[in-house]
Parts: sequence; structure tokens; C-alpha cells
Amino acid sequence: MAFDPLLLRPLFPILAQSAYDHPLTYLDNAATTQKPLPVLDAIQEYYLSFNANVHRGAHFLSDRATNRFEQARDTVAKFINAPEQSHVIWTKGTTEAINVVAYGLEHILEKGDEILITSLEHHANLVPWQQLAFRTGARLRIVPLTSNGEWEPEFSHYFTDRTRIFAATQVSNAIGASTPLRTMINLAKQQGAFTLVDGAQAVAHYPVDVQALDCDFYVFSGHKMYGPTGIGVLYGKNHALEILMPYQTGGEMVRHVSYQATEFNVLPYRLEAGTPHIEGVIGLAAACDFLNAQDRLALLAWEQSLANHVYTRLLKAGGIEIYSPEKNTTLVSLSVPNIHILDLNAYLDSQGIAVRAGSHCAHPLMAQLGVAGTLRASFACYNTIEEADRFCDVLLDAIDLLNDE
Amino acid sequence: MTDSLGQQKPVNIKAQLQACRSKEETFKTLVTLSKTLPRLSTEEKTEQNKIKGCESAVWLIMEENDGRRHFKADSDAKLMRGVLVAILSLVEGKTQTDIQQMDLKAELAELNLSSYLTSSRTNGVLAILDKIKSGSEHRDNQHSPKQ
Repeated sequence: MAFDPLLLRPLFPILAQSAYDHPLTYLDNAATTQKPLPVLDAIQEYYLSFNANVHRGAHFLSDRATNRFEQARDTVAKFINAPEQSHVIWTKGTTEAINVVAYGLEHILEKGDEILITSLEHHANLVPWQQLAFRTGARLRIVPLTSNGEWEPEFSHYFTDRTRIFAATQVSNAIGASTPLRTMINLAKQQGAFTLVDGAQAVAHYPVDVQALDCDFYVFSGHKMYGPTGIGVLYGKNHALEILMPYQTGGEMVRHVSYQATEFNVLPYRLEAGTPHIEGVIGLAAACDFLNAQDRLALLAWEQSLANHVYTRLLKAGGIEIYSPEKNTTLVSLSVPNIHILDLNAYLDSQGIAVRAGSHCAHPLMAQLGVAGTLRASFACYNTIEEADRFCDVLLDAIDLLNDE
Repeated sequence: MTDSLGQQKPVNIKAQLQACRSKEETFKTLVTLSKTLPRLSTEEKTEQNKIKGCESAVWLIMEENDGRRHFKADSDAKLMRGVLVAILSLVEGKTQTDIQQMDLKAELAELNLSSYLTSSRTNGVLAILDKIKSGSEHRDNQHSPKQ
């Protein structure tokens, strides 16, 4: 393997600590990744040398801050291959970005229209659409999985002439499966629907090209791709962003205000009310630079090899239900019959291993898989094969300890 | 009189937990303690007895007898059953007035169980303590609109 995660470890000093006298093994990367030094340095540099509000003052610091802030927009636009930087809207994160679209498109929906999502959605890409359907009388429809977790072979009939919005995740946060996006987006476009892709779980791993995906909206969070929390991105095609009614109004998003009326600003500012999360934007651009400096495909291959290693070992050990695909995923989601995932999680934690146990904000998917929740080990570029093995060893110990006589 | 904790004496439980020197030892002790908790019957595991706010399912039944409180509890997670043994050892057989005067959080912290007291959603120990403290059979009423 060409890629060596140990070369990246020094950039993540947080990982060098012990947890309860064991080496900290961080395998909860799908929840949030750790932040490399260049991201932390960029945030510190912002406060040390160019902190000022953006787009407002006309002074030395505000010019520097505004320049760096808009450079960051350009960096992020290039990172996802957006054609124009004005197509990149800053949000708090994926959840807010989806809400901006769900509220923004409310005016185009009529009773009986259909909003289509998939079985793999995180609550963030489900609840805003469900609530939008409640408000408008539209119908929320779901492209389902079969009982063994595969896509129904024939799902095209879910895309109808009433489908106005199609929203789907690129990669499932709960089980790591990918969505056949190209096919689905194509079907949605044939019906003239708006398309939104939830890239929260994809951006840290897969090089993203929004033009190749050809979706109307692409959304993601900074903190799951080595960037800071509280910053996310709504990318949209020009006509798609233009049709959105602003979800929030106030300062910054206006051009002229009188007591009688307000003229809204142009994109991207029209959808960015209030002082933005400037340090988050600066940190996110640094995270893009960090990823751009890596061989992305080598990183992806490494992360997938770790997940596949765990999958193979646990399958061999037996007695473990695995819900993730064998290949092409960067996480392993599992449960053990008759042992509670929180008990497994507690033992792993006692050994310094951080994973996630729960429903992963995907109650309907869990119900469909017939489990209350799963234990998820999710990998990032800094994880080592030793860590993957340690997870397997300790998990198998936990199963021994917790198995009843 | 036998209490709901079978042969386990409260003082013994306290000593066992206090002797734990690591998170792993506490884990193993809780697993051992969990085995002493009599399981509830399916009929007893009602929605009404279920504690909301726990990711693992937890049921708690409180009864009063001669002015003293008696408890039965169960969970689908083993570690939580161990924690329940520890919690019930603190309050079993006490009067509601006594229970209300206890600082249950502090007492659990003394048993090396503070990491179970965070308000994280994976863990409903605080909700259990709330219900024990309130002494009410219908905790849900607390959330209903004021008359």
C-alpha cells in the first residue's frame, strides 16, 4: 500500500493521548473527524492577524478578512468542482443547508406533489422534507431497500410526473452503503424534479464533482471532513439557488431596506443572513487544502481497506451481524444477537476505543433492518491497521465477557 | 424480609464498586452485579413503567409498603442492569422522605459511576434518578400542560 497513515499522525496531536490508560483509538469518524494542525493554525491565524467583520468595514483588517473569506469560498467551490464561487452558500452544516432548501422550495409545491427520498436517509435529510410535506400537502415517498439491505432492482416507478424534489444521501451514515446516485438523479431530472445530494458522509472520503453528479443542490458539513464544527456548505446550480426563498432574513442578505420593503442582495449573500461563521469558513478552506494536498484516491483506498479488513475478520469470527457492504465503504456497522450494543460500546470505551452505538439518527432504516441500533466503527485517513485489529480484538473480548453462560 | 436485590447486601455492592481501579474493572463488576437483578416479567414491562430518555430500555416499578419504598427494575442492556443494582441498593426500603433528602448523584459518583451520569442521550441514569426522586408513578404528567 502506497499510503502510510503514520505520516499524517503528527498532524493530529489529539490522537497521541491515552484514554483510561489505553492508547486512544478513535473510530467515530463518521460522527466527526479530528482536525489537523493546518486547520487549527488557520483558525488561530485568523484571530491573531485578521479578525474583523466581513463585507462591511472599509479598513485594513476588514479588507484582509473579506479577502480571505471570499478566497475560502473559491477554495471550497474548486474542492467540489462548482463552476462559480457564488454557487457556494455558507451554512451551519448539512442540516441547516437542507432546511434552507426545504423552506426555500416551499412556494413551488402544491398539494399532491411528491417529495422523494431513500431508505438510507439520516433524519437530517428526512424530517425537513416530511415537515415540508405536512405544510404543503405534498406526499413524502421513499425509495426502499429490500429486506437484505439491497436496492429494489426496479425503483424507477418511484420517480413520477408528480416528483418535484428528490433528495438522497451519497453514502449512508448508518451502514456505509452508497446510493446509485447517477441513475436516481437521471430519473429525477427526467421528471423535472429538483435534486439534492446529502454529501455529509462522502466529502471526507470521495473526491466530489458536483458538475459530474449534475445535482441541483449538494450539501455537506465541515466537521466531518477535518474542518471545524458549525460550518457547512450548500452548493446549488444558479437557477436552483435563485428560486429559493430566503429561509432567514436580516443583515448582510439585503441590498436596500425601507420600512415598506426590502430588496434582497444577490447570490450568495441573499441566502446568508447575519454575520457569518468567519473562523469556520477559514478553517474549512484549510481542511480543503489539507485534503487537496493528499492523494485522495490513495486515502480512500486505505480507509476502505481498513473497513474491509474489519469486515473480513469479524465475518470469520462468526456470530456477528454486519450491515455494511463488504467493499467500497469506510465503515463497519454491526450488531451481536443477544448482546446490547451499548454494553459492547461501554467495554470498547473502557479500552480507549471510541465508536458509535445507536440508531445513527436513522430510525426508519433501523426499523427496516430489524434492529434497535448498531455499533459503528468508522475510519479516517489517520487510522492504522493496528487500530482496526485492536477494535476487532477488543470487540471479540467484549462478546466473550457479555455472552451469557 | 427479602428485598428485591436477592442476596446482595448494599454494603457489599458499595465495596465492590469502590474497589474498582479502572473503567474496565467497573465494567466487569457491573456485569457481575447485573446477574443479581431479578428480571421483570413481560407483563411488568409496560410503557408506563418504561423510563423515557434512555437509549437502552429501562423499566422501573415502585411500590410503597409500610411507608417504605420498594423497587423492581430491568433493562435490555446488561451494564444498565448492573447500574440499576447499584442505584436500587441506595434507595431500597427507604422512606420517600429519606430518598428525597439523598444526593443520589453524589452517592453514585462515590461508587465510581460518575461517567454514567452525563446527560448524554446514550444514558438515561439521570431520568431514572428523577423518577425515583419524584416518587411518582406517572412521570409523564410533569410534561402535560398546566391546568
